[in-house]
Amino acid sequence: MYKLFSAHKTQTTRRQRGFFTPLIFSTCLLILSAVPLGQAVAERDSFRVCWSIYVGWMPWGYGAEAGIVNKWADKYGIDIEVVQINDYIESINQYTAGEFDACTMTNMDALTIPSAGGVDTTALIVGDFSNGNDAIILKDETSLSAIKGQKVNLVELSVSHYLLARALDSVSLAEKDVTVVNTSDADMVSAYTTKDVTSVVTWNPLVAEILKMPGATKVFDSASIPGEIIDTLMINTQTLQENPNLGKALAGAWYEIMQNMQESADVRASMGKASGTDLAGYEMQLASTHMYYAAGDAVDFVNSPDLLQTMQYVAEFSFTHGLLGEGAPDAGFIGIATPAGIFGDADNVLLRFDPTYMQMAADGKL
Amino acid sequence: MSRSRRWINAQPSMFLKITLGLLPFLVLLLVYQYQSDARKAENPKDKLLPSFSEMSAAVDRHAFQPSKRTGQYLLWRDTASSLTRLLSGIAIAALLGLTFGLATGAFPMFDALSTPVITAISLIPPMAILPILFIVFGLGELSKVVLIIIGISPFITREIYLRTKEIPAEQLIKAQTLGGNSSQVVFRVLLPQIAPRLIGAVRLSLGSAWLFLIAAEAIAATDGLGYRIFLVRRYLAMDVILPYVVWITFLAFVLDRLLILISQKSFPWYHDD
Amino acid sequence: MTNTEPLIQLERLGKSYNSNCVLENITTSVNRSEFITLVGTSGCGKSTFLKLLLGTEAVSTGTLSIAGAPVHAEPSPDRGIVFQRYSVFPHLNVRQNVALGRELEDTRIFGRQFNAKRKQTMEEADHWLKAVGLQDAADKYPHELSGGMQQRLALAQALLKQPQVLLLDEPFGALDPGIRKDMYQLVLKLWENHRLTIFMVTHDLAEGFYLGTRLWVFDKVRHDPHEPELYGSTITYDLPVDERGDARRLVEDTLTNELNKDIPQKAAL
Repeated sequence: MYKLFSAHKTQTTRRQRGFFTPLIFSTCLLILSAVPLGQAVAERDSFRVCWSIYVGWMPWGYGAEAGIVNKWADKYGIDIEVVQINDYIESINQYTAGEFDACTMTNMDALTIPSAGGVDTTALIVGDFSNGNDAIILKDETSLSAIKGQKVNLVELSVSHYLLARALDSVSLAEKDVTVVNTSDADMVSAYTTKDVTSVVTWNPLVAEILKMPGATKVFDSASIPGEIIDTLMINTQTLQENPNLGKALAGAWYEIMQNMQESADVRASMGKASGTDLAGYEMQLASTHMYYAAGDAVDFVNSPDLLQTMQYVAEFSFTHGLLGEGAPDAGFIGIATPAGIFGDADNVLLRFDPTYMQMAADGKL
Repeated sequence: MSRSRRWINAQPSMFLKITLGLLPFLVLLLVYQYQSDARKAENPKDKLLPSFSEMSAAVDRHAFQPSKRTGQYLLWRDTASSLTRLLSGIAIAALLGLTFGLATGAFPMFDALSTPVITAISLIPPMAILPILFIVFGLGELSKVVLIIIGISPFITREIYLRTKEIPAEQLIKAQTLGGNSSQVVFRVLLPQIAPRLIGAVRLSLGSAWLFLIAAEAIAATDGLGYRIFLVRRYLAMDVILPYVVWITFLAFVLDRLLILISQKSFPWYHDD
Repeated sequence: MTNTEPLIQLERLGKSYNSNCVLENITTSVNRSEFITLVGTSGCGKSTFLKLLLGTEAVSTGTLSIAGAPVHAEPSPDRGIVFQRYSVFPHLNVRQNVALGRELEDTRIFGRQFNAKRKQTMEEADHWLKAVGLQDAADKYPHELSGGMQQRLALAQALLKQPQVLLLDEPFGALDPGIRKDMYQLVLKLWENHRLTIFMVTHDLAEGFYLGTRLWVFDKVRHDPHEPELYGSTITYDLPVDERGDARRLVEDTLTNELNKDIPQKAAL
């Protein structure tokens, strides 16, 4: 059954949801739960990292293939297995369940899945933020305020939903002014071609695809909320504390990959190919992605008070949509630590932005 | 007399049969409980294997308390939406399957005309032509029902066709010697005998119907059991997903039982063999 | 009936499937109220002959006419049939099975009757059920009946239409010997009471002698060892069964022997 949908895979890959994985996942739970839990072992020398296909995470695939990750792992005397997972949400769930030590995800999904699930998580590497990659598109309308009263097709509770909330805020509308229709990203492009669908919120390369169609106008995109949709490598905080070498190896590898990527069109072309497009297509996606090629820039971004503000927006959005769990009394239920300060409950910090390892890379100490 | 029976001859008593039947469920529950407790001991907020109390709290929130955002009782609304889609899809698919299966089975000319095309259509994986379905039927309720129809009616058609062909030629000849014309043979000999077999075919296709329903709800929806599961998966709310899965299983079981009951009440001659 | 014309006439009748010749060169005639039994080895064409009469197979060469008209190659109510199995409708109870023949005369599409007409038909059905001894089983479904009772029902179904010809295709082949004996009495009684014209295929020569007034043996007269399909069967013997009394005794003895043979065997098990 699953095979049938793979045709869509190459086209739409970020933050993707599989069709039957939830059911299979649920029914496999008992089998999975029969596997004895690995008790926390302080120091280990073998680790697993997962990633999924998205413009800002393609470097992991390249780094694993080109042996860069292995090289850095060897340097610190550890093993790192890098696994690509086709289904984005599934990869986060696996990380949350403890199957992986680190995983690529957005700031919002990190808060609502592992952190809300009690897994203390740290943003080890801030790779990029969406700078136009996520957009709101209207059919036959040219201004955002025309969205009032419309049905809006998007992947509910994803960064698209967050973008919509922020956009509505900017024109003094609220979510109750529209009807959100949860729509699979795999079917977003074909959904747009039907007459029922008048507005969509989605991400690249789907945005580019939809904008090619008649009547489609981009009325809002993530460039208007720069730095709010952040793509990171999240790592289990406890694992990191007990195994600083893992953090060093990953950060070291990442910035070597970044250098290669920035310098070589061939490297970018191979990343584009791996994500189902070509160099031109990949560069177009990069154009609306603010990559932090230099570790120092990423450190500055994490240190900025803007990040604290952003995480407050994200936490408030997550709280009002029930993503922090039913037990959460307010948006600050889960504490979020950034260098500029802590948002929310300082006694319940479960999401951390820690520039330590990126700083080491910037200082050339790795 | 104390000679022990061979195991192949040992029949459980009624009490033992029920006990044995329940045993694996009990074991599964205990294993779950144990594993859940173990995970909770390590991380009290673990979401992967929620405790039974967390699940019952989730059921309470979804079934017996109005949603904070919409004021609706989510479980019942989801159930009503899903069942409406499922039952209308199944009903229409059954009617289509009956009509085409009976017509192809009874009339060789119609068989020659339509069986090749029906066979070809039945081989198309419905999920692969979703974009076409959207363009033709839109993204609303219609396309969800249509997906179920397209998903299961070829199977029902084929099943009815085969079952019609199975009715002994002797009966058709006999009916003609009793003065029956084509239409009378269809309505008085074939249709009444096919009716219970249609219920059988529908029962066999229930599983696929659920699968297509959940797939349809995953694609674009604002409510439904499949919608909810896909939505809350976004934040790994297994405390909601697991009760929903159990509820879906229960509904599927009840539907199946109901169909057997209807068949037994309506067509006793078919079941007493 | 003053009509002295034979009811059925066959003129150089032949039947072949492509190059496979099954029946050839049959010329004979049958009068009303004759009871013809058809015997022969398997594959001799006796069943094919019955199908030609029934109309489920078409004549290839020659002619076959009933009451002066060539038979239409489709079953119709003037020719009743009882098969060895599957002659009754499992979804109808016994009375409804018999009544169906009358009900189909009304409402061309659905074949149903209502009210007074329906009541009359049901009474008529009960009359025929009594004639075959099924009056106590009128409300049962076929699966609740024994093999013999099912065949009684099939006879009643056919008789209600009062066909010109009644065709029986090995009707007792699946029955136990004891039941078979009762069925013989029933068929002979119906044949006499209703002046039926009957064709019965049987693989049991004794049965053929016992029931028929005329016994036809089907066989090939010409053989080509290289092409066995070249020539078909014909009626090699057309025997009038005059000594019915003797034949009957013979059959009764045989059946009794068969029964006696069965009993010790079963007991041994």
